[in-house]
Amino acid sequence: MKRALSALSLVLLALLCTAAAPAPDAASDTPSDMPSGHLVLYTSQPDRIAAGTVAAFRAADPAVTVTVFRSGTTQVMNKLAAEFLAGHPQPDVLLIADAMSMQRLKEQGRLAPDPGVDLSAFPPALYDPDRTWFGTKLITTGIVYNTKAPFIPRSWSDLLRPAAKGEVVLPSPLYSGAALISAGAFARYAPLGPDYLSRLADAGAVSVAGNGGVLTQVAGGEKMFGLLVDFMALNAKKEGSPVGFVFPAEGVPAVTEPVAMLKTAKNPVAARAFIAFLLSVRGQELAVSQGFLPARSGIAPPPGFPPMSEIHLLPMDIPWILAHSRALEENFSNAFGG
Amino acid sequence: MNGPGERAATALTAPFLLFLGLAVPAALLAAGTGSPGSWHDLLASPATLRAIRHTLIAGGASALLATLLGGAFALLAGLTDLPRRGALSFLFLLLMIIPAQISVIAWIALTGPASPVLAPIGLAPRPGAPLPLYGPGGIIFLMGVEHAPIVFLILTAFLRAIPAELLEAAAAAGAGPWRSLWRILAPLSLPALLAALSGAFAAAIGNFATPALLGIPGRYLMLTTLIFQLLSGFGPDELGTVTLLSLLLGLLSLAAVAAERLLATPTALAPGRPARPFTLGAWRFPAETLCWLTLAILLFLPLAALLATAATRAYGQHFGFATASLAHFSAVLISEPATRRAFLNSTLLAAVTAVLLVLLSAAAAHRAEAGSRIAKLSLAVAEIPYVLPGTALGIGCILLFLRPILGFSLYDTLAILLVAYLMRFTALARRPVQALLKTLDPAIEESAASLGAPLHTRLARIALPALAPGLAAGALLVFLAAFSELTVSALLWSQGNETVGVMIFNLEQAGEFSAAAALSILAVAVTLLLLAAAALASRGRTILPWQV
Repeated sequence: MKRALSALSLVLLALLCTAAAPAPDAASDTPSDMPSGHLVLYTSQPDRIAAGTVAAFRAADPAVTVTVFRSGTTQVMNKLAAEFLAGHPQPDVLLIADAMSMQRLKEQGRLAPDPGVDLSAFPPALYDPDRTWFGTKLITTGIVYNTKAPFIPRSWSDLLRPAAKGEVVLPSPLYSGAALISAGAFARYAPLGPDYLSRLADAGAVSVAGNGGVLTQVAGGEKMFGLLVDFMALNAKKEGSPVGFVFPAEGVPAVTEPVAMLKTAKNPVAARAFIAFLLSVRGQELAVSQGFLPARSGIAPPPGFPPMSEIHLLPMDIPWILAHSRALEENFSNAFGG
Repeated sequence: MNGPGERAATALTAPFLLFLGLAVPAALLAAGTGSPGSWHDLLASPATLRAIRHTLIAGGASALLATLLGGAFALLAGLTDLPRRGALSFLFLLLMIIPAQISVIAWIALTGPASPVLAPIGLAPRPGAPLPLYGPGGIIFLMGVEHAPIVFLILTAFLRAIPAELLEAAAAAGAGPWRSLWRILAPLSLPALLAALSGAFAAAIGNFATPALLGIPGRYLMLTTLIFQLLSGFGPDELGTVTLLSLLLGLLSLAAVAAERLLATPTALAPGRPARPFTLGAWRFPAETLCWLTLAILLFLPLAALLATAATRAYGQHFGFATASLAHFSAVLISEPATRRAFLNSTLLAAVTAVLLVLLSAAAAHRAEAGSRIAKLSLAVAEIPYVLPGTALGIGCILLFLRPILGFSLYDTLAILLVAYLMRFTALARRPVQALLKTLDPAIEESAASLGAPLHTRLARIALPALAPGLAAGALLVFLAAFSELTVSALLWSQGNETVGVMIFNLEQAGEFSAAAALSILAVAVTLLLLAAAALASRGRTILPWQV
């Protein structure tokens, strides 16, 4: 038994060691103007889109190799928070769904400003005035409806009509930063009234943890209407799911999938090159080819979207939403029961 | 018996188990130092109290349901002449292999307004009506079904140890089948039954996917969903709260284990022929039909719904000639090289975890049953990571292994996943083995020892043959659970080290549910192949649970 157990522990040790790679080296901190070396990217982009983004960046800057970690926004931010705690954050750049998470990191002093970025073609609401994070696209939240729905909504207030009673599903701001931004935008938009979401809840609306759940419920005919991000609805429609999508007349809240460089980036040159690429005309055309609305003005939206002039954004004050996040979450939790 | 062999076994296994059980809680506690005041506020808040109450109610009720369902199947397959019991047992295990975040969505689709089964017969709820699955009832039902194989595996392994001679003696003394069931089998099986119950309870209170998908729309918050809510806020001040709530879950599981130990008194059984005492007679046909019907509803229907989803071009379309498509299968299998890597990684990780854990926990359980306090303690402690929320376990592993140790970094390798799986699944490996160990008569080993047989001889000649079904059941439980593990892996995977669970999760999250369904179907197929290989390798023996 003793021998067996010693053998067992040896096998275990060997397994741990053979699977373990040598520690990542301290990186290419030799200052140079040409981006090269290794870049670590943490992102919440879906697998296939992240792969496309990296491939396009590498076509522009072939000397840089890129390692990607991808997961849900919550998982990415938790991994990063644990790495901060352990004092050894791994990524050079972040590309995550919503500006709230970025604003939090900025307020914790984790982000490095990048003053050199040319932002002349970007609306000021889409980037941090201190130039630590930059919106790379517009992911708006509109209304998805099942083709069997009793009517096609045109405005947010249509969802309060009696025919929509008990037929609405929306992502919960308790689990999704993008939904929290929507909740904040609704709360600040006077014509809808400050309690728009509570009135939806009173009319029998239910919440789910994320956008994926909204799509499966509406496409599956369980609910007729949902609050959903544009590209998911339009992609599903293109593939043949029985859904349609409207950009409500009052305007739409949006997340901007910001990109940012960490202060602790080991390869700042390549990190800046990555940021510059995403914001360039080429990078923005890539976003359009992936089915997203561009953040940069003067670039046509992807097929299936209305022209940019017809998409109105609701005002989104990210620092205000972050400062009031607890109250927004509590209101939501009281109305929707967690 | 406390020779050098025994002391060495304890000395080697106990520290390792203590590490597996305590390293992550310790790391979390050290990192998340919240002020006592905020902890008090947290525990006094109505949301927390409600979540605790919901966790106890749904966890307890679903554990009872799992025990009822798994116990009935184990009894029928293990002790009666039920026809085709091998196939039925095999299929029953499959309830465990569809990842919960996928099977729950399949169930929602099955019972929803567009249900392919209920709609044609006019029983589907009208659109907009609240679905019966959302809320406590649905959570209890689906968790009960998901965890029934845990109960089944623990009980079937145990029933093998009941010698036929014992029941024959009872029959000779005039006891009918019901009398032997209640007066002999029930008290004998109590330790195994309690182990199964506490296993199902631990699985339920640690379950995240089912309460998240059914409880959030159903307004029924449990501890795991509350913790995830806090983690979604990811402020630096949340880690203390998350740690406290996570450890609360850990305490609940320890309480279950303590209750299991207190109530279960071991009964030594002499080894004998496996018993199959009950003949169903006229009940053979109804019993078999009932089993197939249960499997049809609990397994085939959701699987068929999943298959239809995976083979339909777009989600929400009705499956038919016009909409049938293999595009989702080819998308995940052919145009995505990471999928094949993920299958290799998950198979390797699950197999190594299963083998290591079964050996480790068998050695420790052997010592524990011989009275070693430290072995008992280390086994109980190793239970904690099973109920910690996966995200908390993942964060703990990052805190522990981010920095290189002795010049090697586990971070961003398969090894960190292996360590995390070892931590997570000890609780599953231990139960079937320990339930069997309770029946081993120590007198046999003692007499062997008095004849001079050293520990390894006694293990190889006496313990191992008697324990083989328990080892196999433990290994299977760990393998099936690890193969589609999601919540821990979602934080710890890295490029090149993908796992099946993570790939499915990523697709589902991106709104590509059809592709996620296709990948789940492939995962079921691969698991079937692996189980078939295990059956082939051990044919002619009665070790695996379906070899009856």
